Amino acid sequence: MTDTVTIQVNGREVQADPSKPLIAACHDNDTEVPHYCYHPGLTPVGSCRICQVEVKQGEAPARVVVACRTPVAAGMIVETESARAHETRRECLEFLLKNHPLDCPICDKAGECDLQDYTYAEGQSIGHSAEPRRKLEKRKSLGDVIVLDEERCILCSRCVRFFEEVPKKAQLTVSGLGSRSTIDTFAGRPLTGNYQGNIADVCPVGALTLKEFRFQARVWNLIKSASTCGECSRGCSTTVEVLRHGEVKRFRPRPNPSVNGWWMCDEGRFAFDDVNASDRIEGALLRGQSGLEAVTTRRALEAIRDTTVAKTSFAVIASPFLTLEEGERLLELCRRLGAAPVFVSPPENGLKDELLHTGDPCPNRRGLSDLGFEARTADELLADLAGREAALLIGERITALMTPADAPTDAPTGTDEDTPQGLAALPETLRLIVFDTHALDVPAACTWVGVPNLVERTGTYVNVDGHRGQIAAARPAPQGVPPLERTLRELVELCSAEGVAT
Amino acid sequence: VSFETYLLSRCKIDGAHTLSGYQEHDGYKALRKILTTPLSYADVIEEVKASGLRGRGGAGFPTGLKWSFMPDPEKDPRPRYLAVNADESEPGTCKDRVLMERDPHGLVEGSLIAAYAMRAQAVYIYVRGEYRLAYNRVAAAVEEARAANLVGQNILGTDYSCEVYMHKGAGAYICGEETGLMESLEGKRGHPRPKPPFPAGFGLWGNPTTVNNVESLFNVPFIINRGPNWFRSMGTEASAGNFLCGISGHLERPGVYELPFGLPASEILERFGGGVWKGRALKAWFPGGSSTGLMPADTIDTPMDHDSIKAQGSMFGTGAMIILDETACVVRASEVIARFYDHESCGQCSQCREGTQWLSQIFHRIENGQGTMADIDSLETLAKSMAPGRTICALSDAAAIPTLAVVKHFRAELEAHVNGKGCPQRAPALAEADA
Repeated sequence: MTDTVTIQVNGREVQADPSKPLIAACHDNDTEVPHYCYHPGLTPVGSCRICQVEVKQGEAPARVVVACRTPVAAGMIVETESARAHETRRECLEFLLKNHPLDCPICDKAGECDLQDYTYAEGQSIGHSAEPRRKLEKRKSLGDVIVLDEERCILCSRCVRFFEEVPKKAQLTVSGLGSRSTIDTFAGRPLTGNYQGNIADVCPVGALTLKEFRFQARVWNLIKSASTCGECSRGCSTTVEVLRHGEVKRFRPRPNPSVNGWWMCDEGRFAFDDVNASDRIEGALLRGQSGLEAVTTRRALEAIRDTTVAKTSFAVIASPFLTLEEGERLLELCRRLGAAPVFVSPPENGLKDELLHTGDPCPNRRGLSDLGFEARTADELLADLAGREAALLIGERITALMTPADAPTDAPTGTDEDTPQGLAALPETLRLIVFDTHALDVPAACTWVGVPNLVERTGTYVNVDGHRGQIAAARPAPQGVPPLERTLRELVELCSAEGVAT
Repeated sequence: VSFETYLLSRCKIDGAHTLSGYQEHDGYKALRKILTTPLSYADVIEEVKASGLRGRGGAGFPTGLKWSFMPDPEKDPRPRYLAVNADESEPGTCKDRVLMERDPHGLVEGSLIAAYAMRAQAVYIYVRGEYRLAYNRVAAAVEEARAANLVGQNILGTDYSCEVYMHKGAGAYICGEETGLMESLEGKRGHPRPKPPFPAGFGLWGNPTTVNNVESLFNVPFIINRGPNWFRSMGTEASAGNFLCGISGHLERPGVYELPFGLPASEILERFGGGVWKGRALKAWFPGGSSTGLMPADTIDTPMDHDSIKAQGSMFGTGAMIILDETACVVRASEVIARFYDHESCGQCSQCREGTQWLSQIFHRIENGQGTMADIDSLETLAKSMAPGRTICALSDAAAIPTLAVVKHFRAELEAHVNGKGCPQRAPALAEADA
């Protein structure tokens, strides 16, 4: 951190970092300056010209300058709201709007569009252009993730710079000259890589949209919660955006300079199929005469208590998706049952890259390890279960993660598919108790207890570098599914002779 | 009035473009003088400063002062470059082509002296792509000079080494803007860079660089040979020396003439250009290329130098006068110019990308009878929101300045187009073409 200097912004003395452009100094001091081409995570190019503010330095008369390319200097007097600054920005907006289509009513960006917002802010409701608007490609596919609407594009070049500067592999360019400029990929090749979705976030207008999100929701209907991504041990800070009925429509990166900057990978961004999956366990399931029968969580916990009384050789296996808080509760249970705390650790998934993805699918590996849980592979754990009388498998995705390393991923019909694998191969004599979001009909499983998933819980993950990330409940858990911490506390109480949790 | 000429002195001589032809006429004498006297780097810059030489690329910035902006190499050990702007593309301007085609060694010698003064280790000559002969002549001159130990390592056996590289442009006007030129030289799109940082601090590949126009550098050997006082004896106090005046349009003898600064434009038109063609009257004229505001006929007695033209509200630019006779339509001329800037805007800045297109559309409609009175006001409003200094480079200004000039001086003609639903000049012009 360099020494700050004192400047005056709208009559207020503030401290500014002279290594950053003037616009950052304004933003750091809660003064909004409109911007399109400027993005705090990218090199400023000063091309959209909307961030014009009035600056007075020394004895020279005040000048109107672009704040994103003006270095901070001690003693500067900055007016962002002067009549002259507004007038210059209003003029600039008129140019930006000249060819911008009036399709806000069907634009996914409407409601979070900088062009729309600043236009409202400047009170610009009438355009003076009598010319026909440019007709360009409205839905140009740029690969599997992104669609480009060339008419909406204001050529800020943030997307071009994103690929050049963040994944450091240029994939987009401005093609053509002047008013014939468009954004294009090199030689028409589709975009590739795990970071494409970020360009829809950096796009200040609705030019770049996610195929996944196109026409899916109006952004003002989305309820937003700050959370943390669970797809790898980076734990990128995210915003979870859900519709009122609870369906997750978007994961978006939340700026966090010490973890993910402004970005996240597509693997994490589009990981909402799992969280939106239907057929959740509501309450609990117990194996009875006619297979698995729905019961209350309380009833299932009592059945588990009975098992713990009857059986002596227990294994307790945690999911690497448990939060610190859930892990602490589970430790108590392990102590009660005399079980060693372990969590299942799947192999690296090959997605590791230089930027964010760690390749480690365990979001809270570090947090659980710090609590004293030991990492074990599914194979080791399955072998260990063979000698046990009973086992508790606890946490989101635990069923899926207890898959042997050599299990066929997409077995052709009539081959190994019929041979029971993993949990399915466990004998009926083992009393298998599973806390997960979804039930699986395997012979050994006698009890299923529903748990909330990533977007329904509150707690803490510790990422690969030791940063703590909060996950927050973005929607309620299904009917009859209490927080896992509470379920575990109840179970500990039930299992203790005194009936009191320690 | 008689005056001394030097810039075009070799251009009329057969074979002056070869090394032997050049050396018969004082060729490389100035380079030998600075290397063998020897003159210090600072001495050379002082000589050029003292001469009052102003850049001939359009802005008229003092050349010696520009050179002195290069950082002290003792404190800044980065490599340093000189880039020669031979991307002459301004409509109306065609003076550098004459020098490069007829007297290419003059440019090479001037560049080597400038590189010496700024201690640049390499010179990049960026030639407009369409200038095939000019490119070939300069490239051949560089090779001849290299063979004669005038370019490359230890020039003329001294410690001075300087490489000269040739580069051919690909047809974009914007690459004549100095930072667009540098981006293009680096192999990127010719997008001008925001300033600051300026080229002297952060130029080619991030290193100190100075960009000079061909004619500016061409003057340098003459200044070294004959001294700053001789140079100052020509032209005016503020604009010393001679300049190449490319005069085109509706006149009897268009061409490139060498003239001292300060001659009245009317004298240039009558005495050298042979007057307005076909005995017609003058309607308007551009003093220095399409981006300088056009001026009405009654200003034709203005002296051709930076300050006098500026006082009339236009710019000297490259001194490329364009003459429009009484039958010309200034709206049609403005439409052509606006279309040119729309075509050549790089597209980075909103005002320029959209504004140049907008101006072009409005002029087109007015010229074709679909204009309104509100359009005339729009032209003025738009041009004022595009310039001055609203954008990264001056292309936006270049489109706005002639627009403001036409609205200021020829509003009546614009209104006649609107009221008459079309161009009043077009019918007689077409009739004449048929005859």
